[in-house]
Amino acid sequence: MKTYMVKITIDGKELEVPEGTVIIQAALENDIHIPHYCYHPDLSIDGNCRMCLVEVEGMPKLPIACATPVADGMVVHTKNENVTKAQESVMEFLLINHPIDCPICDQAGECGLQDYYMNHGLHNSRIGLREKVLKRKVIDLGEMIVLDTERCILCSRCIRFFDEVTHTGELQFYKRGDRTEIGTYKDQPIDNSYSGNVVDICPVGALTSKDFRFKQRVWFLKGTKSVCPTCSTGCNIRIDHTKGVVFRLVPRRNPEVNKSWMCDKGRMAYPLINGENRLKYPMIRNGENLEPSPWEEALDRVVKELKKIKEESGPEAIAGIASPQGTNEDLFLFKKWIREGIGTSLMDFRVNDEDKKVREMEDSILRRKDENPNTRGALALDLVPKNGGLDTKGILTAVKEGKIKGLYLQRPIDHFPDKTLLKEALEKAEFVVMHATHNGEGMRAAHVVLPSCTYAEKDGTFTNYEDRVQQIHRAFPPIGESRPDWEIFRDLLVHFGVSLSFPTAQDVFLQLSKEERAFQGMTLKGIGDLGRRISS
Amino acid sequence: MESYVKVVKVEKVGPLDTLRGLWVTLSNFFRTIFLRNRVTIQYPEEERDYSERFRGVHILTKHEDGTPKCTACFLCATICPADCIHIEAGEHPNNRVEKIPTRFDIDMLRCVFCGYCVDACPEEAIIMSKEYDLATDTREESIFTMEMLLNRADKLGFDNGYRPHFGPLGGGGTRGKMEEAGITGTTRKK
Repeated sequence: MKTYMVKITIDGKELEVPEGTVIIQAALENDIHIPHYCYHPDLSIDGNCRMCLVEVEGMPKLPIACATPVADGMVVHTKNENVTKAQESVMEFLLINHPIDCPICDQAGECGLQDYYMNHGLHNSRIGLREKVLKRKVIDLGEMIVLDTERCILCSRCIRFFDEVTHTGELQFYKRGDRTEIGTYKDQPIDNSYSGNVVDICPVGALTSKDFRFKQRVWFLKGTKSVCPTCSTGCNIRIDHTKGVVFRLVPRRNPEVNKSWMCDKGRMAYPLINGENRLKYPMIRNGENLEPSPWEEALDRVVKELKKIKEESGPEAIAGIASPQGTNEDLFLFKKWIREGIGTSLMDFRVNDEDKKVREMEDSILRRKDENPNTRGALALDLVPKNGGLDTKGILTAVKEGKIKGLYLQRPIDHFPDKTLLKEALEKAEFVVMHATHNGEGMRAAHVVLPSCTYAEKDGTFTNYEDRVQQIHRAFPPIGESRPDWEIFRDLLVHFGVSLSFPTAQDVFLQLSKEERAFQGMTLKGIGDLGRRISS
Repeated sequence: MESYVKVVKVEKVGPLDTLRGLWVTLSNFFRTIFLRNRVTIQYPEEERDYSERFRGVHILTKHEDGTPKCTACFLCATICPADCIHIEAGEHPNNRVEKIPTRFDIDMLRCVFCGYCVDACPEEAIIMSKEYDLATDTREESIFTMEMLLNRADKLGFDNGYRPHFGPLGGGGTRGKMEEAGITGTTRKK
C-alpha cells in the first residue's frame, strides 16, 4: 500500500506528512508544540480534553488538532489570538473543580495543569474555594497506584491504556456531570504487571505511584537516559536520581522497542542499584573468610595466580565465563582478556540457555524470558565455543575432573541448573576469580572477588533481542570502590603486558566497531537515543 | 622612582585640637555616669529587644491539636540557599491533609538566617523567632529536629520574629487570609 504525502502549513512552516496523520502528530513530530492532555501518541484518539484547539483556514470553528486529519493545502495556526483565547477558556473549565493541592501533590513540577496554566491560563478563578465539588482522595488501588479523583481532569488516558494495551480494562468512568470520577469497580486493586504506566501517562496528579509517593520532589531529580537491564527486550528508560540515589525508573519513548511503556518488574528493579548489600571493595580469601583489600593487591593476586597456572599447566587450564549482564564494551574486553591476556579460547556466556530464550515472549506486551539485556550482543561478539569446544557445562565438568584449574567468572553463576556439578566444580577449582555487584551466596567459592558497578554507573551499549544496539549512560559515579567490568579487564590486560589505551568506554566502542564484524561502521552518534540495528 | 602617594594637604595639629578631642570623650563619660544614658548593655544579664522582623531560630507552627501545620511541600528546602533543611514526608491519617513531615531538621550551623523559607511557605508553617544565641558544644547539637522546632520558642519564651504574612507588617498571601479578605482562587494578574 502506498502512502501519499500531503503538504500542510503549520504556523507558516511548510511540512510534508503522510496522509492520515492528525494535525497534532504532524506538529509534534516537527517540534511545534500544541498543548494537549488526552492525546497520547501510543493510544487511540479520544478528543475529550479540548485543549488542542487550533485554527484551520476555511473552517468556521476551531477544530481539535488531535482528531482532525491533515489534508492537502491545509493552513493551520496554533498560536494566534483566537486559539490562545479558546485554550485559556478550556484551562478555566478544567480547573473549575481542581483542588489547590500543588504543595502536597507528587505531580507538582511535571504537571500538565501547572505548565499550561503558566503558558495559557493565568486567569483569576471565578469559582470560590468553598464552591468546588469535593471528591474522594487517596484511594488505594493495589501495589503500584494511589488514586485521587479530585485532581483528575477525565482525559481517559489511563482507561484507554488498560483497554488497548493490557486489555484488562480495570478503570472506568463513574457518575455524571461534574461529579464524574474514574475508578475501579468497588475500588478493587489493579493487579496487572504494566499498571505503573498509567502513573506516567496521567498528565495530572490523579494517579500517583505508591512507591515514589512523597519520597522526593521531582524538581530535585536528574534524568539519565538508559536501557532497562531486566530482560532482553531492552526497554528505553530514564533513571531519575539525585545525590547518587535512584528514586524511580520511567520509560522513555522509543516507537521501535517499547513505545511509551515498561513493565512493573523493570520499574521496580531500581532498589538493586541503591541496595545496601552492594559490593564496595575487592575481597580476597583468607582461610574461610573473604576480606576487603585494596585494588592493587587484589589485581596482583589475580595476575600472580593466573600466571602461575598458565606456566605450570598451560593456558588451556584456565577458562572464562562471561555474563550477558555486561555491556558490549565489557564483553569485548572480556574476550580480549581471555584470548590475548590468558591466551585460551575456553569461554562461554550461556549459563541457563539464554541464547534459546532470548526471543521468547513471557507475556504478550514487552517482557521476554531471557532476563539479560545483552545476550544477542554476546552472540554477536562470538563469545560461544567454536565447533566442538567446551560450553559452560563442559568447562565445569573439566574443572571437576581437574583439567581446568583457573576459572574467571564475570558474574556469579548460581543460576546454573545443575547445582551439584557447579558445587563440585567450584570446590575442585584451584583459583576462582569473580566479578560481583552485590554480596551474595555466589561469592562463597571465589578466591578473589572484584566489585563491579551496575548499569546505572557506567557508559556502554546493550544489544537487545532484535539486535538493536542501544546506549546506556552513567548517572553517577560508582558506589564505593566498584568499577565497570571493562575497566577491570583493561587493567588486567595491562598487567599481563598487553599494551592498549582505553581511557573511556567510548574508546572501547570505537575499537569494537573496528574489530568486530557485526558492529562494523557503527558510531555512538549513529546509535543516538533510539538505537540502531546490526545489519545482518 | 615615582611616588605613589600624593600629599594634598597637611593639617596642623594645635593644642586646641587636643582639647576639642578630649571634650568629646569627657562629655560621653559624664553622660553615661550622671545621666545613665548608656550605649552598651550588660549582656548576658540584660538582653536587647529586637525588631518585630528579627530573623532568629525558626519556629514550626502548630494546629490546635499540636500537629505541625507543615505539609512537607519542600518549598522551603527548595529555596534554601544554604541547603540546610532536610525533610522526609509521610502519610497523614486524614485524607484531606494527606501529607505530613515525619522528619524536619534544620542544620543551624549551615543556616544563614535569610528567611527565604518563611517567605516561600504557603501555609505559614515555618516562621522565625527572636532567639539568636546558638552556641553548642558539638556539631550534632546544632541540628534542630522537628520536635525542637515545634516547641522550642514556647518552652524558652522567645517571641515571634520574621513573619511576613501576618501581623502589622503582614501583606496577606496565605489561603486563610485571602478568604477573609473575600479573595477567591488565585490572585495573580496577567
